Amino acid sequence: MRWRPENRVGRYLDALLKRRRPARFKATDEEWEAIAAASELASSRPGADLPDPAFVERLARRLRAELEPRPARPSLLNRRALLQTAGASAAAAVAGAVLDHVVVGGMVAQQAATLIPSQGSWRPVAALSQVPAGQVLPVSTGSMQVLVVNDGGRIRALSGVCTHLGCTLQPSAAAGRIDCPCHRTAFSLSGKVLDYQLPRSPGDLPEVESRVRDGQIEIFAV
Amino acid sequence: MDDVARPGRPALEVVEGNSYSDWESVYRDNVLGLYQLMFRRVGNAPDAEDLAEEAMIHTLHTLRFPAPVHEVRSYLAKTARTVLADHWRKHYAAPRTVSDDESQAPPERIEYAPSAASASRALRILELLPDRFRQVLELRFLRGYSVGEVAAEMNVSRANARVLQYRALRKAAEVGLELT
Repeated sequence: MRWRPENRVGRYLDALLKRRRPARFKATDEEWEAIAAASELASSRPGADLPDPAFVERLARRLRAELEPRPARPSLLNRRALLQTAGASAAAAVAGAVLDHVVVGGMVAQQAATLIPSQGSWRPVAALSQVPAGQVLPVSTGSMQVLVVNDGGRIRALSGVCTHLGCTLQPSAAAGRIDCPCHRTAFSLSGKVLDYQLPRSPGDLPEVESRVRDGQIEIFAV
Repeated sequence: MDDVARPGRPALEVVEGNSYSDWESVYRDNVLGLYQLMFRRVGNAPDAEDLAEEAMIHTLHTLRFPAPVHEVRSYLAKTARTVLADHWRKHYAAPRTVSDDESQAPPERIEYAPSAASASRALRILELLPDRFRQVLELRFLRGYSVGEVAAEMNVSRANARVLQYRALRKAAEVGLELT
């Protein structure tokens, strides 16, 4: 009996747990309360609430297309001349580069800032011995993703979120760098951009204030 | 641990200065928090993506730059609540009081990666449920059991497992409201 509340709400929950969009239905007040509770519980699974990088990128493209004026299209004469002089493959490469700049262009490079929460407090996140020289320890305070870095004996904390489109960074301690899995951007252990495959360089990683007290690494965070 | 914010510090922002200069800085600073706000409400990525997109598009088409950071975040959060209210009303016939509450409640602050906070609230809700209700929801949400597997584990029929699950969710909603 699919119309029974337990079955309709059950189907909703089945979809959530399979990470699918649930079917729509006209819910009673009681059913609506149950599906709201199911949504909250499903969303609290660790890591479940991180967006797909493809979504973040797709929305950025849409916004760029809608909010930034497009450059004037090259005139037919210019296009024809280009085709005649450089050949079709070269023209396609140029057009592709223009399109890439207009639609895929990365965020403007910015100077790194220091991330200072207004309601922050000093929070112990690891023992100093847990982060030997050259190692990176990802930590989450619940509100901030932070990378604790031992850069040649100097303890530093950096934002663990890529400055390009917000993907979660992955330290590669063996290589002495921090990688973004989304667009092959790499940062040094001091937060500087090392490498990127984007039209423009993303910004350096913001630093999070940190200190060492009684053998404990603390960060100023919320 | 110091629990008091240090005096003289500017209000939290990753951005330098207190205003956004363009849509990209708004997007970069808020897309994660906006998505997470939506995801916490709807519990699935396809809907969360659509709703976050709708709220972000509406907000960025409305803004004029430079725009103060606190005003942008407040407007974005308010827009998010309105978009959510429309979603519940349109697709699930949410009660008018619920959708009105959603759109008129003080906007929720958009934060970075609040997964730990929502996880601890969920665990607290489960802790406060009667044993059978807690068991069925733990099996479903934490251990990934299907309804059939829950039925076998709890020695009830599939139909009874569905009823138990529904009642447990209704009780969880009640407990969650009390915790708010």
